[in-house]
Order: sequence, then C-alpha cells, then structure tokens
Amino acid sequence: MRRRPGIAGLKSAAAARDQYRLVGENVARIRADVMKEQLETFRTQLEDFARKHKNDIRKNPTFRSQFHEMCAKVGVDPLASNKGFWAELLGIGDFYYELGVQIVDICLSTRSHNGGLINLQELCSLLCQRRKVAREAVTEDDCLRAISKLKVLGSGFEVISVGKKKLVRSVPTELNKDHNEILEVAQAQGYVTIEELEKRLSWSSGRAIDALETLLKEGLAMIDDGHRDGKRRYWFPCVASIFSAPGSDGFRSL
Amino acid sequence: MQRLGDFKLPHFFNYPPYFTLQPVRETREKQVQLWKELILDYCRSQKIFVISLEEDFPLFSNPVVERSLSHEARQVFLAALVNEGRAEWIDKSHKKCLILWLRIQDWADYILNFVKENGFEDSVMTVEDIRFGIETRGTELAGIDRGVLLRALKLLEQKGKAAIFKGTSADDEGVKFSA
Repeated sequence: MRRRPGIAGLKSAAAARDQYRLVGENVARIRADVMKEQLETFRTQLEDFARKHKNDIRKNPTFRSQFHEMCAKVGVDPLASNKGFWAELLGIGDFYYELGVQIVDICLSTRSHNGGLINLQELCSLLCQRRKVAREAVTEDDCLRAISKLKVLGSGFEVISVGKKKLVRSVPTELNKDHNEILEVAQAQGYVTIEELEKRLSWSSGRAIDALETLLKEGLAMIDDGHRDGKRRYWFPCVASIFSAPGSDGFRSL
Repeated sequence: MQRLGDFKLPHFFNYPPYFTLQPVRETREKQVQLWKELILDYCRSQKIFVISLEEDFPLFSNPVVERSLSHEARQVFLAALVNEGRAEWIDKSHKKCLILWLRIQDWADYILNFVKENGFEDSVMTVEDIRFGIETRGTELAGIDRGVLLRALKLLEQKGKAAIFKGTSADDEGVKFSA
C-alpha cells in the first residue's frame, strides 16, 4: 500500500485497524460461543447421566468407582468442590466428607492401640460397622478417596503400602525403609523376633534392635516376653489387630 | 468371643503383649487402663471382693494364648487401682487386695437407695440379712463383703441415716435405717 500523507491517510489507517479489531473480536466470540455450547452439552449430558444413575452411584460401590474413573478421564473431579452441581445433584461430596470425618474418628480412637497406623482393611471394616444404619456399602476404594480429601487439611493422613497391605497413617511419624521391612515381615504372624529379622533380612542384631526400639517408642509395637521359648516377640497391632474378627488374624493360630 | 464363665472377655485379653508390662510410657498407660477396667468389671460381675496375688486368679492367665501376668505386672495393675481409690491393700506386704468396684461412698448411696425403694425406713435389718437375706437377693448387695458393708453403714451412721447396734453375738450386728 502506498503511503498517503496527511490527515486523510492517518484516518484511513485508524479505520482499517478498527475493522481488523472488530473482525478479530467476532471470531473470538464465535469460538467462545461454540466452546460454551459444547461445555453446556457436555455438562447436561453428564448431569443427565448422573441423575439417571444417581442411585447406582450412591448405592453401588463398583459403579461408583467406575464413575470416578470416567470423571477422572474427562478431567472432572466431582469431589473438588462441595458447591458444585455434583454435590447438589448427588450429595456425593457429602458422602466423602462424612466418610472422612468417620475415618478421622476411628483413627483417633484406635490410636492408643496401634500408634496411629491402621490396616486399611481393618479401617474399612470398622467403618462399615459404624455405618450399619446408612446401609450404603463402603469399599476400600471409597476410603482411599476420602483419605485423599483429608490431605488438604495437612493433618498428615497418608496411605502407605507395606508388602501386600495398605496402611493408613494418622500420625506424622516417618517410617524408613527398615521399619517398612519389619512391618512386612510382621504381616505373616502379627509379630517378629530379632532372630527372625536377622535371618529373613540378613540384618545385624544391632540394626534390628535399633529399628524395633524406634517402633516401640512410636507406640507402633508392643513387647511380649511371655512365650515359653523365652524369645521376646514384638507385636504390631497395625498389622494384626486386637479388634479383628476371631480367626482372621495370625496370632490366633498359636 | 472368649468367655470366663458368664463373663465376656475383652478383645485385648487374647493379644499376647498385653500380658507383658510395656516399657514405653504411653503404651503402658493404655495397657494399665485396660487391665484396671477389666479387673473392676470382672470382680463386679462375679462379686469378687478380694484378690490374692499368691493364688491363681482366672483373669491373670489366658490358656488360649498361653500367657500369664508376672507377679510384678499384677502388682502394677492393682497398685494403679489403689491409687485411684478403687482398691486397697489389705496387708502391708501387698499380697491381698480389696477391690472396690463401688467406692464406699457409692455403696452407702446404693444402700440408701435400696432402703428407700423397698420401704425399709425405720425398720431393722441385721448385717447378715443384708448380705444373704431374701430382701437383697438379685441386688448388688447380695454377697457383699462384710468389711465393706460395715464401712458403708458407718458412713451412713455418720450422716444420721442409720444406727448400728450390737446384737448378742459379735457377728450379729443390726442396723436401723432412717429416712
């Protein structure tokens, strides 16, 4: 374009700029509208789905976990906010917050027995006992979800894996690798002996005693000098609890 | 659930480490607490007033898990009850212990309540009537330790709620309740 001098030239350049801007805004608006429309459709679809299967989601634990999986895939977190339409629609937020409160309660009330470390399986069965009236089945998956929501409180709730089992930690105790390995060995019978640790993990007795002393101090272990072989046993209530149903834990087979 | 006669034992009774005194303070406190409750509950349900450390006591060993309390552990648990006023050493060598699953004051209140509910105000009962008579059958008073009963009655006497008087023989004391 040939540059035109003078006021007329400046004016036409400004007019052209305005035109460009208008066109640009239009394009952006159209795009946003399309997006909004898509979002709206997606939302209504999800709402429709949730409404249709509301009862299944609330009552059927398998369905619930599949629903969560689906939500996770499309990047929606039904638990993210209690104000969202999910909460209003399903009360699903409330469900997990309620579970969370009950989990905290169970962890606190059993802390003096297990030192703040509890088997997920046991936590779940205690939870079910407590919720008998609610009749909605609660799975370990639900427990894990509720616990993950508790993390925002910064209260140190955490799920750790020890061997095949998952343990829920409600105290800020840091367990190192040695402690984890001891807990893993203890899962077989509910207790360990120093000799057993030396043999199974090829540790020196000093290493075993050190780690066991720490676990004792943290209230995670209890000593037992009463066996007739005279060897001290270290019991771990978090892996074989005194609350478990008869026959389900190791020490009963003694 | 394991039972001892008609007594339902708590879960911890089958967990072996509870039979060894725990070295860590918090764990020990919890352990002592559980044993204190168990001893009081058991004695109450079986109407046991005296525990002798020298003799076998069904609570102090569990054949199912093959564990029993050491002499030291027994003494620690009973001493904890003594500290709380829920038990008293009978002898200086701490071998026999009187278990007060109701404190003397509570026994006095219980007796007063019994008297009121059954219309024994202004009537006379002998100590043996209260312990083994038909009137107290089915109440906590049936089979009550003689010493405990007399102490509760004396407390009532101090409050002017009862008057104790001697009968013809030494173990034939009578008591007159007043409203």
